[in-house]
Amino acid sequence: MPTIEHNGNSYNCDEDGFLLNGMDDMNDDWIDYVKGVEGIAELTDEHHKVIDALREYYKKNGIAPMVRILSKTTGFPLKRIYELFPSGPGKGACKMAGLPKPTGCV
Amino acid sequence: MGYDPANPMADRITDIGPPHYSKFHPPVVAKNKGKWLWHEITQPGVLVHKAESGDECWTVRVGAARLISTELIYEMCDIADAHCDGFLRFTTRNNVEFMVDDKAKVQPLLDDLASRGNKFPVGGTGAGVTNIVHTQGWVHCHTPATDASGVVKAVMDELFDYFTSMKLPAQVRIALACCLNMCGAVHASDIAILGVHRKPPMIDHSRITGVCELPLAISACPLGAVKPAKATVDGKEIKTVKVNNERCMFCGNCYTMCPAMPLADPDGDGIAILVGGKVSNARSAPKFSKLVIPFLPNTPPRWPETVAAVKNILETYAGDAKKYERIGEWAERIGWEKFFEKCNIPFTIKSVDDYRLAYDTWRTTTQFKYTNAIK
Ligand code: HEM
Ligand code: HEM
Ligand code: SF4
Ligand code: SF4
Repeated sequence: MPTIEHNGNSYNCDEDGFLLNGMDDMNDDWIDYVKGVEGIAELTDEHHKVIDALREYYKKNGIAPMVRILSKTTGFPLKRIYELFPSGPGKGACKMAGLPKPTGCV
Repeated sequence: MGYDPANPMADRITDIGPPHYSKFHPPVVAKNKGKWLWHEITQPGVLVHKAESGDECWTVRVGAARLISTELIYEMCDIADAHCDGFLRFTTRNNVEFMVDDKAKVQPLLDDLASRGNKFPVGGTGAGVTNIVHTQGWVHCHTPATDASGVVKAVMDELFDYFTSMKLPAQVRIALACCLNMCGAVHASDIAILGVHRKPPMIDHSRITGVCELPLAISACPLGAVKPAKATVDGKEIKTVKVNNERCMFCGNCYTMCPAMPLADPDGDGIAILVGGKVSNARSAPKFSKLVIPFLPNTPPRWPETVAAVKNILETYAGDAKKYERIGEWAERIGWEKFFEKCNIPFTIKSVDDYRLAYDTWRTTTQFKYTNAIK
């Protein structure tokens, strides 16, 4: 199982860099690490708002929110979410928030 | 500037769409677009289109394996450069078409193609068997129950004579999909080859927490066979799912959503054959294909059972159907009980629909023919 070392932490990941043990392993250093690989220069309150919305929804429902729900709860249109997370809500924001990798015909 | 990983959004080009197709029209097509009068198939694989202006466009269609190397694409480009002013096109069934604007240019093109071994077989027109629309199989997908390229090669080898001739009652479309996601055209083809599983998923409780959104796995199941459950992993109680094996019909949807529920199995997996679909509205309305053989084993590299089954259906149809009749029209005219009898295919309970709207597929009439298919 591949591991990623960052700021003294060690994370179990899959080949796409998603956390294999999910949110239990996620912490601020993980956010800092994903920020680097996802091409995000500075983490703003808006980034945190998206991450918190994802984590809250996942804890409550056991699934990631549909894109329309994420837009509604954060107030950010999809365009803004892509400006914040260039890889998009799935590959960018969900990875940073420690949610499972999106599945299906992606 | 080259791509700078430290600054990924710099100089990024996006949302430009495909180039406009008109940039790639051969001159004779650009000139006569929208003004074609009639067309004719002059021999298997060769078509001529006549325009109002009197211009002619001659098209030579050649088979392709769909999964091809850049080397082969370069060779196609060389042929297009030599004969067609650098123009060529691919069809919706992944054949390749070379176009020339003069009858005199056709024979040199055919000779050139023939000189290159079996790489560019000419055919695929009219009432024959054209290319097989197919999928990823073991080459690239993670949900297949059979291979795509391998089975397609084995079937086309056996039916090659029908690719290069036009002697069937009507065109026969064969399609393959390696699982019942049915990417492509199996649901509406004359003969369809479909990868199927026969065993329920295995659940990897030790992985499921991190990699699955459990409600998605539960709602993926068309039969409600997946239910929430608890399990103990390393002395810790976790949330997971359980599968009611009596309810599962091995569709694999839950695995598509949840990587911890794999179900592929070398002995369980194999191929089902469906027949009678069509997409055109000519004479009869479009039809879905129907299951006639529930299971044939996966026997790489040549899948002899599948090849024999496809050939048997094709040749029985060829010998019995009327001109212009597609396989589905033939089967419906003679009655499906006669289809099974003539093709000598044992009718099994697996062909009796039992899913939700099944009732409409049963027989609500006394009209039937006695056959030897059910004993
Ligand atoms: C498990 C789900 C699926 C996976 C993993 C998958 C994977 C793929 C891959 C890897 C390709 C090739 C892409 C490329 O050449 O760059 C592809 C092509 C394609 N897929 Fe899927 N697919 C899935 C489901 C579906 C479904 C459900 C449909 C349609 C109902 C579909 C329709 C197609 C079509 C039309 C193509 C293009 C084929 C071609 O032009 O050669 N796929 N798929
Ligand atoms: C009621 C729904 C549908 C009907 C009746 C239908 C019918 C057909 C038929 C009859 C063909 C065969 C074409 C041939 O014989 O040359 C076909 C091909 C195909 N279908 Fe469908 N289809 C349906 C829905 C879909 C959907 C939802 C998808 C994709 C998401 C899809 C993707 C395709 C593809 C990719 C092909 C292959 C085209 C080719 O020959 O290159 N179909 N369909
Ligand atoms: S038919 Fe199934 S196995 Fe084959 S490419 Fe499509 S999703 Fe993958
Ligand atoms: S394989 Fe299909 S039928 Fe079986 S449990 Fe999974 S989703 Fe349900």
